[in-house]
Amino acid sequence: MSAIDILIKYQAAFAAGLLVTFHLAAIVWCAGLVLGSVLGTAGAKWRRTVGLPSRLMSFALSAIPILVVLFWLHYPLQSMLSVVIDPFITAAVCLSIVNTFAVADTVRGALDDFPKQYVIAAQVCGMNAKETVVHIQVPIVLRQVIPSLLIIQVNMLQATLFASLISVNEIFRVAQQINSQIYKPVEIYTALGILFLVVCLPLNAAAHMLKAKYTRDYSER
Amino acid sequence: MLSGVNLSKSFGNQQIINNVDLQLEPGQISVIIGPSGSGKTTLLKMMALLEHPDSGRIDIDDTSYTFPLKRGQTPTPPWPKVTVVFQQLFLWPHLTLMQNITLPLKLRGKDRSENLEQLIHLFAMESFINRYPNQASLGQRQRAALVRALVLQPEYILLDEITSSLDVEQVAIILGHLRELANKGIGILTVTHLLHFAREAADRIIFLDKGQVIESGGKELLVSPKQERVQKFLSVIEAAS
Repeated sequence: MSAIDILIKYQAAFAAGLLVTFHLAAIVWCAGLVLGSVLGTAGAKWRRTVGLPSRLMSFALSAIPILVVLFWLHYPLQSMLSVVIDPFITAAVCLSIVNTFAVADTVRGALDDFPKQYVIAAQVCGMNAKETVVHIQVPIVLRQVIPSLLIIQVNMLQATLFASLISVNEIFRVAQQINSQIYKPVEIYTALGILFLVVCLPLNAAAHMLKAKYTRDYSER
Repeated sequence: MLSGVNLSKSFGNQQIINNVDLQLEPGQISVIIGPSGSGKTTLLKMMALLEHPDSGRIDIDDTSYTFPLKRGQTPTPPWPKVTVVFQQLFLWPHLTLMQNITLPLKLRGKDRSENLEQLIHLFAMESFINRYPNQASLGQRQRAALVRALVLQPEYILLDEITSSLDVEQVAIILGHLRELANKGIGILTVTHLLHFAREAADRIIFLDKGQVIESGGKELLVSPKQERVQKFLSVIEAAS
């Protein structure tokens, strides 16, 4: 039985798993992009009170594997607090936190590095603060961060696989369950790879396309 | 009239501008010359209120700005009545040269300024007007930055070394245009290191050194300066060129 045969035979199970994966990813993407953008903007504005703690948190999260954070939130923390939370919610919260700080780091970095001279040029052309933000700062910053944000979101999609380890029935767990029935690990995980390739490749391609289009070489001759 | 009275400015312990008085009449071209680090650009920024003096007063026609400002006081910005073209130009990189020029106009509710086409033609920009700044040469970008300021029809325009990378022909075009603007009543204050530019353009020349006006006067200042420091500076520049 080839990887394609497995994909066809277990298409219902894979589709259900993929749906959970997308559901989880959608929550993580939305929460991370919205909260991360707000946190990043606040961090650039209030560097000491918001920016510094946010950077420290981001630094810590980038050093600790997501799997460890996920396990810690699911088992020891819930045991300590004597609560039981749906693993899907635990995974969504954990990955959203990681995504939020990753997005915040990117947004804050772009805002911190924004050349103030462009704002001065807008001022002397009579543009007010709102016009400067809308027509100068936001377009330049967006062009700079969109490709990085897309790549972060692809990484977050791949990170949803860790949710299987706390029993969320997402695509990787479905693959494990199928494997436990028919024991064809090479074919099953190849099928999984094909699925992720189909989903992630267009996203990665979009990131590269946007990067090529918007983050042109701005250095002047 | 645009004038600065007793302007002083320090950065840390370093006094950059020290009790400088400067007047720019409508229709006048004033040229600031002086060695590097003499405070020319800082003075220009102060006159445009982009940099607030530690003390002194700036008058723009009937509006007076006294420094230091009172706590919580925010002066009404004088832009684009007073505008600046910087040496580094600061063209917005995500917009074409044309969009750089027309964006401030559009935000003022004017799709096209009556003098836009005329300016584009005058500065021979037709062939590169739709390029992005990073696709244009320095001379092309300098022309675009100048046109971006001019289409807003400022009453006072402050120019920081804007001819530094232009060829002789372009400098001549800009000179002619500055004279035309001055004839229309626009006051022009420019910083330059090009003595021939100063000689051709200036109604008034101000020599600045170590944050102080050492000497000022008409074009004769370039021929027979009274101060030894100015004589020395001019002879060095003449010898170098």
